[in-house]
Amino acid sequence: MEEIIWYIIAGLTLASALGVLIMKKPLYSAFCLVLHLFMIAALFALLDAHFLATAQIIVYAGAIMVLVVFVIMLLSLDGAEKKPSYFLGGLSLVAIFALFKMLLPALRDTFSVSGTNLQGDVKSIGLLLYTKYIYSFEVASILIMVAIVGAVILAKRTKKNVTT
Amino acid sequence: MEWIILLIKIIVVFNLAQGLASICVWVERKGSALIQDRIGANRAGAYFYTDNILLKPVFAVVRLLGILGIVNTLFCDAVKGLFKEDFVPKGTSNFIHSLGPFMAVFPVFLAYALIPVAPDFEIGGYKIRPQVANLDVGVLFIFAMASIAVYGVTIAGWCGNNKFSLLGGLRSAAQMISYELALGVSLVSMVILYGTLDLYDMVVKQTVLIGGFLPAWGIFTQPLAFVIFFVAGMAETKRAPFDLPESESELVAGYFTEYSGMKFLLFWLGEFAEIALLSALVVLMFFGGWDIPYVTLPGDWIGALIGHIVFVSKVVFFCILQIVVRWTLPRFRYDQLMHLGWKILLPASLLNLLITAVLKLAL
Amino acid sequence: MLPLSHYIVLAAILFGVGALGVMVRRNTIVVFMCIEIMLNAVNLTFVTFSKLHGNLEGQIGVFFVMVVAAAEAAVGLAIIISVFRSILSVETTDSGELKL
Repeated sequence: MEEIIWYIIAGLTLASALGVLIMKKPLYSAFCLVLHLFMIAALFALLDAHFLATAQIIVYAGAIMVLVVFVIMLLSLDGAEKKPSYFLGGLSLVAIFALFKMLLPALRDTFSVSGTNLQGDVKSIGLLLYTKYIYSFEVASILIMVAIVGAVILAKRTKKNVTT
Repeated sequence: MEWIILLIKIIVVFNLAQGLASICVWVERKGSALIQDRIGANRAGAYFYTDNILLKPVFAVVRLLGILGIVNTLFCDAVKGLFKEDFVPKGTSNFIHSLGPFMAVFPVFLAYALIPVAPDFEIGGYKIRPQVANLDVGVLFIFAMASIAVYGVTIAGWCGNNKFSLLGGLRSAAQMISYELALGVSLVSMVILYGTLDLYDMVVKQTVLIGGFLPAWGIFTQPLAFVIFFVAGMAETKRAPFDLPESESELVAGYFTEYSGMKFLLFWLGEFAEIALLSALVVLMFFGGWDIPYVTLPGDWIGALIGHIVFVSKVVFFCILQIVVRWTLPRFRYDQLMHLGWKILLPASLLNLLITAVLKLAL
Repeated sequence: MLPLSHYIVLAAILFGVGALGVMVRRNTIVVFMCIEIMLNAVNLTFVTFSKLHGNLEGQIGVFFVMVVAAAEAAVGLAIIISVFRSILSVETTDSGELKL
């Protein structure tokens, strides 16, 4: 039963990632990515990482993708881009295949176990984050502040560049 | 047996959600009429007569409901919505057009899974907690659902395929994400106060008395958080003085424009269910849930029933409060709205968080 | 419990799909979205390994990856908007000239 659910979720994840790749209009790619992020959150929940699953929905699907959808709608992109370069595509596909052929046999033989009973609940992650990783936490908050200030300065409308 | 209990819980909570949404729709129609000094809908079903002597009381009840406007709102509006033509504007895909109302309604009903509607009770040897899903993350899940609700508005705005609808949708999405911050930070201060993310435990912690006479309700311990949470919640549901998204349809066009029939009713149902959800959250976190101040409820199913009735009446009170506020106050201009969200509510909620954290450590 | 190799294989395939997207697509915003797919595949790998070893620090790593991805999204989209204002296009090949 759990296997069937896992295969459905994994299939949807892969299908939505391919959807991001294939869709012609960038807005449809964005919606496919939102579905992909939801499915990744479901996979996190299956791995008992509850806080991360909720944080994924709040941060990625609820904030970052809203920003991307805003930008696509405001710039009124319609996706009439030039044909993709099939040479680059073929080259990267060959490279990815080679990488997989090297990595996957090693991975699959080593990790056929089921893993421990680790529960990623909010309290444990909070304790770890605020005691051992407090320095990284504060630096991350400064990083976000820098990103906010930078984004406002970069995208501000001045008298010279009013197009949107 | 566990599955049957879960199924019954789902049916009860879902019916509660739908029932509250329907009550809100009726109070909106009739209550707004009374506030605006008119009578409102009272024709449908008011002339329901019969000669059959056995059915006379039934028809009399239907006549009473008709005069109160209940038949009109609950029955006629639904039938009207079902039979209207459902058109999709040219240039947008059918799928995305249908996705709009779905994304607006789906997170609201999913968030109802976390609401405990009655105290714990024991029946036939089974200890039952009337909460559909007892997640580890509790309140964070409701916050996640509030983040998802933005998509319904954005997709609906884009599907109108005209600039006014798009700008209206983007403005209302910007409003929703701005007020999410104040909502989240005031939620965090409540979590610090109660020391738990689970909504049931929050209510249990409010059943004690402080100083022997005052019930430890959230409204007495955190009045500022209540005000911020309520105002930010009303802005999230796009109601009350923050209904720039909806009211734009009176001026130029709003994000609702290209929707008719059942999809429009679905938007409305989602909006009223969100009003009921906000009321339920306010009652659970700030007003003691099912707690009557100086009374302890018995632990069996009678106590659960009494607790449930108390809870539902408190929720209905807050729904009526929101509807009365909506029909009383004029709406904000867009820059006033952004000023309130970013410059007043967010610093106030951060200040509240600081004070709560300091007091919690000191006491 | 499902064997954890399933998750690793899925994450590897998703990473490959993301990398393919970055190489092939020419719309800058879609390239950015494929980068997000790659980051999510890496997050999945982190969480799987954290579950494998019973160590919560993998999930802390995912937390910081999410924070950095959010900051990168804000700044990257601001850059895309300001480039769009100059050249009125979001194709990757249109911004090839140094003089705007």
